[in-house]
Amino acid sequence: MWKYTARRIVEMIPILIVISILTFLFIHLIPGDPARLVAGKDATIEDVENVRHELGLDKPILKQYVDYMKNLMTGELGTSLTTGLPVIDMFKTRFMPSLHLTFLSMLWATLIGLMIGVFSAINKNKWPDYFGMVTAVSGISIPGFWLGLLLIQLFSVQLGLFPTGGLDGFSSYILPSLTLGAGIMSMIARFTRSSMLETLQADFIRTGRAKGLKEHSVIVTHALRNSLISVVTVAGLQFGFLLGGSVVVETVFSFPGMGRLLIDSIAFRDYPVIQSALLLFAFEFILVNLIVDVLYTVLNPKIQLDS
Amino acid sequence: MTSPTTVQNSQVQKKQRKYSPLKEFWKSFKKQKAALLASIFIGLLIVVAIIGPYIAPYDPFEPDYDALLEGPSASHLAGTDEYGRDIFSRLIVGAKISLMVSFSAVFLGLILGTILGLISGYFGGWIDKVIMRSCDVLFSFPDLLLAIAIVALLGPGINNVIIAVMIFSVPSFARLVRGATLNAKENVYVEAAQSMGASHVRVLWKHIFPETISELIIFVTMRIGTAILAASGLSFLGLGASPEMPEWGVMLSSGRDYLGTSSHVVIMPGIAIFLTVLAFNLIGDGLRDVLDPKIKNN
Amino acid sequence: MNYVKKLVFVILCTLLLAACAEKDNSNASNTGEKSTTESGKVSSKNELVIAVNENFISMDPHNTGDTNSGSVQETMLEGLLGFDADGQIIKVLAEDYSISDNALEYTFKLQEGVTFHDGEQFNAEAVKANIERIMNDESLRLYSRGFSLISNVEILGDYDIKVTLKEPYGPMITRFGVAKMISPKMIKENLKDIPKQPVGTGPYKFVEWVQGDHLSIEKFDGYWGGGDRVSKITYKPVPENGSRVAMLKAGDAQVIYPVPAQNIDELSNNKDVEVNKVPSTIAHYVSLNTYKKPLDDIKVRQAFNYAVDKEAYIKVVNSGLGLPLDSIIPSKTVYYKQQKMYEHNIEKAKALLAEAGYPNGFDIEIWGNTNSDTMKGMQFIQQQLGQIGVKVEIKSMEEGTLSDEIYGAQTPDDAKLQMWYVSWSAYASDITNATKPLFHSVSFPPNGANTAYYHNTEADQLMDEANSISDVDRQAELYEKLQEIVYQDTPWIFLGVDEVVYGVRSNVSGVLVNPTGGLDVKNAKVE
Repeated sequence: MWKYTARRIVEMIPILIVISILTFLFIHLIPGDPARLVAGKDATIEDVENVRHELGLDKPILKQYVDYMKNLMTGELGTSLTTGLPVIDMFKTRFMPSLHLTFLSMLWATLIGLMIGVFSAINKNKWPDYFGMVTAVSGISIPGFWLGLLLIQLFSVQLGLFPTGGLDGFSSYILPSLTLGAGIMSMIARFTRSSMLETLQADFIRTGRAKGLKEHSVIVTHALRNSLISVVTVAGLQFGFLLGGSVVVETVFSFPGMGRLLIDSIAFRDYPVIQSALLLFAFEFILVNLIVDVLYTVLNPKIQLDS
Repeated sequence: MTSPTTVQNSQVQKKQRKYSPLKEFWKSFKKQKAALLASIFIGLLIVVAIIGPYIAPYDPFEPDYDALLEGPSASHLAGTDEYGRDIFSRLIVGAKISLMVSFSAVFLGLILGTILGLISGYFGGWIDKVIMRSCDVLFSFPDLLLAIAIVALLGPGINNVIIAVMIFSVPSFARLVRGATLNAKENVYVEAAQSMGASHVRVLWKHIFPETISELIIFVTMRIGTAILAASGLSFLGLGASPEMPEWGVMLSSGRDYLGTSSHVVIMPGIAIFLTVLAFNLIGDGLRDVLDPKIKNN
Repeated sequence: MNYVKKLVFVILCTLLLAACAEKDNSNASNTGEKSTTESGKVSSKNELVIAVNENFISMDPHNTGDTNSGSVQETMLEGLLGFDADGQIIKVLAEDYSISDNALEYTFKLQEGVTFHDGEQFNAEAVKANIERIMNDESLRLYSRGFSLISNVEILGDYDIKVTLKEPYGPMITRFGVAKMISPKMIKENLKDIPKQPVGTGPYKFVEWVQGDHLSIEKFDGYWGGGDRVSKITYKPVPENGSRVAMLKAGDAQVIYPVPAQNIDELSNNKDVEVNKVPSTIAHYVSLNTYKKPLDDIKVRQAFNYAVDKEAYIKVVNSGLGLPLDSIIPSKTVYYKQQKMYEHNIEKAKALLAEAGYPNGFDIEIWGNTNSDTMKGMQFIQQQLGQIGVKVEIKSMEEGTLSDEIYGAQTPDDAKLQMWYVSWSAYASDITNATKPLFHSVSFPPNGANTAYYHNTEADQLMDEANSISDVDRQAELYEKLQEIVYQDTPWIFLGVDEVVYGVRSNVSGVLVNPTGGLDVKNAKVE
């Protein structure tokens, strides 16, 4: 297992390099000239060229890439073109809120999702099942920004229970995490349900029942444990997605996270910020996948990684 | 995770069912009440989408500056929007656009994803590695970012929205089909066909692709819902269809500034999107219960 | 490998991750706690929370392009000159100033007894350090906006300084209001912190800036101008309109700027809040490419202006807020002169179009960015021109793409632009910037924003002359003539001038917004 993990980590390096090249190309390929955007609509050609020179954007693109990677090796992410601040400083204040939001959303979504899933599975095709599933399916059927706006309207404006946006301690996380987690909750609920239904018919469960085990013990100790394996996979992948920050939720709630930073940077074609953010997301995503894979084998002794 | 026995069982079941698969399917699907209801809803919606322009009470593009932001009433069932246009008429006419965008995006994604998935799973080796790693890279990009890039590259317009939404459904289709292909490849008759000298294309098309169909049907249904949401997300960022189009996502996002004052402008299209996506997802769930051999009853 | 071993492995990994996270976490929770106490609900008399619509970009006063960053800087930093509530020039750190007749020499007499927040003295040396910083750094916005034209900075005495230009530059006086003074010590020793936490002479000093969340400032007790002030102010960027309004209603913010037009009625009926309107220098127009068919024909352009109902524009697009644009510049801009407007007249528009040879109209594209207001405006233009048979296709593009499409055209022949729905804002005191980049033939893209490709030799001459003198009476004469000529040539569809609207809780007074949209809370009070 250590060997496997080590190999996977080593394998990450070429992938990250490829991603860094792709993101670099991607950023320079999309239309939009940062020098023009920084200089302004009324700037003359000369002004724009001055800005371009000062920002180092007049160098050959290959050199820009090599310079960027060299800096990256020494832990330097460069300086933002629009704010003049080090990219790392901009990330510092944004990363943790996004991470906390992700954790909180995942936490409630997984717990509630599991509960609904199990409940639906053991009441298959009865009213509790319909109710559970319609609730769950609703979660992935609502446009995120619409749900967010409705929640703000109801809980913040009408009832005054939570802040309308921004980040003022824990209460600021509640509405965004509800919005963000709704989809995850549904996904997990449905996944739990189908995987429970699957395992409930498996041979070892039948054996258990035949041996006269109590129904809830069959469900909890055997079926649920077995279903958890696949739920972990799903939850893990979602976690990976969410770490990229949620552009829409962060915009609706003016939440100071990575997603909004990215959108703002794209608007200004702030190359160093976009590049570093994309690399960071890719890294997180791959890392989470690795952890999920390892966890998967631990939970499921039948699978051998080294083979 | 599927043990070989279940796979074989399902083969057997399928073969037995081939006598009247539709009838069999209908019998099980009828029991899925939510899915049944949802199917009726979608059926009606498709009818509305087709005949929409003929039944809409008002011209969906005609502004009336003397009737701005009026709430729902007898003359305007869903009220009027910020230009005084009848929201109900716009929803009816927009059904076609919204459905068309999501259908075409998913359909194109399905074709491309299936081809990639089949190739990847069937041939394995470096081809598989390249395709799957590319999918990983696509996956690791935030969805909307990808869409922004695509729209930035291709310019605005509804066709490019379709392409953007398509591109982020390709990796999911590819993965799904690859998985199913890997399973199907193990089947005895595939080996038999190969040993009898059938061409790759023939084996892929005749023997492997059919095995992926049931999973694909389920996934496509769900994906249509996701595509509607993705298109509305694009509109939220101002990158969707042209603003005068009664596409639901456009209506929803341009109405959002009025939530506090004339909430019907944003609530009506929101409900339309929500119900439609919900219906597609419920149908998908129902289909899964019926088609997926792993959770077959009895 | 057995189960226990695997489990140990995972636990180790998790711990490792947790440790990493914990490390970051402790940093974050420090600032987090701070921000909770600093930016949490404020009920005390001495604090203000202000919600604005956009993120702050930079606190470097010499490199700021956005209004909101400028508003914050206004509280912490001061320039030799400044702006009053109407946007006109006033003296701040300069006790007096004069300009030579040839508009080349600017002489300032400085205020005495002013200290920076770090204790440094404000004097001629400090001013010189600031001006030279801008002159020597090409990447600073102010460099390309006048400071590159400075040939010499001469200290005449401890509190007297003279700045000489290479060539006359009309907006220079406005630039001396924009160029706020930074502590010379900071310029010498800590240049890289200027964009983050500038040190100036203003009534407030910097506390902290949590990117994307808030920026807070507190009262500077050693302020030379004295005065009784709120002790702490927190600015928050809240881009979503609905959220910002909700904050004001809930009392989470005492000031919001701007108030979305569609919420004005609702907020006006709320006795806890007050809504105030100010005419701005933000002009909305559609530039018409006068170089190419079909808009090269003045009759077509006039037809467009007659076809668009400006009253309806204000009512529909701006929710009834704003004034019609009745010249080529907004009414708050210096030397403004009202012109006779193109009244709404569909028949006349149709007739003009027919005269121009398009009795059945034609197809045309309008470009704009993806802001919801822009999209709304473009739709309105589409509906209005539809009435005279002109079929408008809306192309809304993301800002970067749009800018490439417009400025990528190296010559007028390359330009694909037909109509551009856009707005322009210049300082009320700076008519040069409100005219030259838009109407002078040297300003064709990519060399400026004359996207109408408007070229009139007489207009060019008027702008050139006005720019090279300091005689205000003669300038007034020249600019009045210019407004007449350009307005008649109709390079734009003249739409409207925004009124900027801000909302405050009713216990707050002394908040001002100048015509440029800059929020001034230096003298705000809470009861």
